[in-house]
Amino acid sequence: MMYVVLFFLAFSLLLYVLLAGADFGAGIIELFSSKKNQKITKKTVYRVMGPVWEANHIWIIILIVILWVAFPYFYNIIVVSLHIPLTLMLLGITLRGIAFIFRHYDAYKDKSQRLYNWMFKISSLLTPIFLGIAFGALLSEEIIVTDTLAEFTFKELYIDSWLNIFSILTGLFFASLCAFMAAVLLIGEADKTALKIYRKKAATATVVVVLIGFITFMYGYSQGLSFVLGFIENPYAISALGISALLLIPLWRSIQQERKVRTRIYAGLQVFLVLFAALISQYPLVLFTSNESISLLANTAPESTIQVLGISLIIGGLLILPGLFHLLKSFKMIKILERD
Amino acid sequence: MENIDAARLQMAFTLGFHIVFACIGMVMPFFMVVAHKKWLNTRNPIYLTLTKSWQRGVAIFFVTGAVSGTALSFELGLLWPTFMKHAGPIIGMPFSLEGAAFFVEAIALGFYLYGWNKISEKFHWITGIIVGISGVASGILVVAANGWMNAPSGFDYINEEFLNIDPIQALLNPAWFTQALHMTLAAFTATGFAVAGIHAFQIYKKRNTELHTKAFKIAITFGAIAALLQPLSGDLSAKDVAKRQPAKLAAMEAHFDTQKGAPLYIGGIVNQETQEVNYKVEIPKALSFLAHGDFNAEVVGLNDFPKDEHPNVAVVHYAFQIMIGLGTLLLLAGLLFFLVNYKKRQWFKKRSFWLFFTLLAPTGFIALEAGWVVTEVGRQPWIIHKIMRTKDAVTPMPGIEYSFYMYLFVYLSLAAAITWLMNRQIKALNTTKTTPL
Repeated sequence: MMYVVLFFLAFSLLLYVLLAGADFGAGIIELFSSKKNQKITKKTVYRVMGPVWEANHIWIIILIVILWVAFPYFYNIIVVSLHIPLTLMLLGITLRGIAFIFRHYDAYKDKSQRLYNWMFKISSLLTPIFLGIAFGALLSEEIIVTDTLAEFTFKELYIDSWLNIFSILTGLFFASLCAFMAAVLLIGEADKTALKIYRKKAATATVVVVLIGFITFMYGYSQGLSFVLGFIENPYAISALGISALLLIPLWRSIQQERKVRTRIYAGLQVFLVLFAALISQYPLVLFTSNESISLLANTAPESTIQVLGISLIIGGLLILPGLFHLLKSFKMIKILERD
Repeated sequence: MENIDAARLQMAFTLGFHIVFACIGMVMPFFMVVAHKKWLNTRNPIYLTLTKSWQRGVAIFFVTGAVSGTALSFELGLLWPTFMKHAGPIIGMPFSLEGAAFFVEAIALGFYLYGWNKISEKFHWITGIIVGISGVASGILVVAANGWMNAPSGFDYINEEFLNIDPIQALLNPAWFTQALHMTLAAFTATGFAVAGIHAFQIYKKRNTELHTKAFKIAITFGAIAALLQPLSGDLSAKDVAKRQPAKLAAMEAHFDTQKGAPLYIGGIVNQETQEVNYKVEIPKALSFLAHGDFNAEVVGLNDFPKDEHPNVAVVHYAFQIMIGLGTLLLLAGLLFFLVNYKKRQWFKKRSFWLFFTLLAPTGFIALEAGWVVTEVGRQPWIIHKIMRTKDAVTPMPGIEYSFYMYLFVYLSLAAAITWLMNRQIKALNTTKTTPL
């Protein structure tokens, strides 16, 4: 049953990164667009994302519930030492949700739209950065786990744990990954004029992702982070990353040929492979603190809890996935499937 | 500010907001599908306009409820890591099921909001019902988790360790049913009267009266029925609390000394030092009857508990009085509505009638919040009744007060913004015949 729980944990992480990531990315693209293009992006995003927008963001709740129910020890370390970036991420999620709903449901389209747009774009950039920072912090070997809190300063325990170069680089990497996914998604939705814009954006995003990814990796290597060292030595991780890089070639070919579905599948596969590589490289070690590496499977919830959680997840999955698929099918998403 | 106080304030504040958003998001879909059904049956375009404007309300409150709920799912751990570390594996079941129910709601809402003229009329209407039902299911599950904090079960507590965990028994803890029933009825009462009050104000101002009267009747019917049923549920809750959490009941009633044939105090000013309640109205033996169904039964007073296990009596007592007082007022208002609707329809023309219901708009939510103060403050000093103290559960990270100020600022701005947005929705509704989307 533990494997069912782990599967759902990884599955909801993947879907959150893909779906919410593309959603965050759309805001980032809007932020880095000229005024005229912003309008087009806003419209396209709403058309594509509108019906599934809320569902996309629920994956993080599933994720957090699985963490606290099944992996309480691990969860406890995260919420204590990463309190600040997680709070800032929540602030971003809140402002973004509010801005999204305001810009589409306000009965009058007047000057206040400018405020909503501004709020939406800024929080679209900051939320994934803080999410990435929190993720990077787990690998940065800066988190201090101790029973004698009094020996350490506030800064050491609650600031340095996440405000370090490696974590920040990871945050920027995730934000650029979001922009990349959004650009690829938007290519499939745009008309002729907009198509050019998004192609350009996708090209820029690809370069940025690869560049930041490379810098992050090299920085981690230079600091001798065991995550990076272990990554290099793990054949699965390295080959997954390699395939992901190679997929850039067919991805760009299918973008040129305007094959919309294929483009999305390649991009999704790339993100999946990157995530897979990161997770598999030292499984089940997921948390590298200042003095030890902590396994996800250390101090898990008792068997009876895992059983019930696994069953709940299976039932929930059976309930949700067909509905979600039907939702995607009923609206825009499937039309594109038919055209390819 | 002490860390524990800041954490408690932040939790109370964010929960207090979330409860309002969540209740509206969970009850309004029912109003919406009734209006929708009336449109399908009568093809009267007013009902279509009403359905679509309520649908906007549902969408807005669903999203605010969803983001404030996401924040809360993190806050539980961020503020109370020790609580979550131990309680998480035990009460995970209601939360994971709640996640599923919430997901179903989001999917159904996607269909409903974007399904106009795209999917079959009947299926479209049914997705609206699913939104409502899964919303109520989410609410019940979350309250069940809170019930566990009042009535911890599904584990053995040996040497400060939680052993032999049974998540199903924890879900079905002794408090889950009475609390979930009370809260569901409260949600319907509060939202029903709030929505009805907003429409009553429009009628009072003589704006688009035909539409607002139809809206008022749908909302008030839900609210009035729930308000009429609430005393029965309240009675179940009181008897349950008397049995399981006598200290909480004693605080609710400002009852200090154990006695047989205990009187019921209505109102009054609590003096915690002298343990006196001044300026109260006293009903002899009524407390014994309400708590145990027997006029001569013994009701345990606070002094039977160690001082460090007393909740704040004044806060709990006042909150309880506010809840009961406003609940009674709403019950009478509900009766008044039914009387007018069936016997005295000419009263619908009186402005004072509409003014009365306008003034009632916030009262349901005030009562509901007061009820949560009763149950949460009344459980103190425990976070898990008789197992873990709140002060032992709080995060070791200092400086939570700044986090509290930030949330205070963000949520107050949010409340102001939502009020402003709703106002604009209603204004638009009054100036145009048809609403887009």
